[in-house]
Amino acid sequence: MAMGKNIRVLRDIKARHGVQANEVARRAYLFVARNETLPPQVRHQAQLQLNSFGKYTRPTTVKNRCTETGRGRGIISEFGLCRFQFRLKALRGELNGVQKASW
Amino acid sequence: MSAALPSRLAALTRLRCSIFQTSYNPAGIRTGAKYLRARLRGPSVVKYYPQELNLAEIARKYPELEIVDEIEEQRLIDVEEKKKRGKGAPKKAKTKADSRRINRKR
Repeated sequence: MAMGKNIRVLRDIKARHGVQANEVARRAYLFVARNETLPPQVRHQAQLQLNSFGKYTRPTTVKNRCTETGRGRGIISEFGLCRFQFRLKALRGELNGVQKASW
Repeated sequence: MSAALPSRLAALTRLRCSIFQTSYNPAGIRTGAKYLRARLRGPSVVKYYPQELNLAEIARKYPELEIVDEIEEQRLIDVEEKKKRGKGAPKKAKTKADSRRINRKR
């Protein structure tokens, strides 16, 4: 079961590790920046710090891609597969509890 | 039934906060508490792609095992062979003019 580890997947993995590494620091700055009880100067400084974080530390750069092919669209999030891989696997009976509809 | 006084309602809220250990914030000022309250997403975010065995990674981690990646070895041999026959990768362009197709020597 070899996953198509193309550059987009590798970039996404990089982003995921970056997000994990910087999450606590980002949260702390977010808390300060969004806290209205703190002086505006402090909040502004915190916001500047937040802006200085790298691209691959933001949670929004993380995209759930197909774990089989790396496709970025048409992902069925419950299985982490794109729609075609989902169909193939479901028909092969590799997904528990998934059945082809028929009525 | 008479409506409760606002001051009495505020007192009730304050008492409720002290009992349930929540912060009393009648004006609804943003305290940023939600960023501290939310769970950390990093651990689950990292686990999205299934882990798989990677021979090159293992070889890099434990050099004392002296693992030989045969596919990689063969690839390097093939590259050398191609270079000998003049079929290697082209030189990296040094200037902008180099990267233009027309200026390139055939």
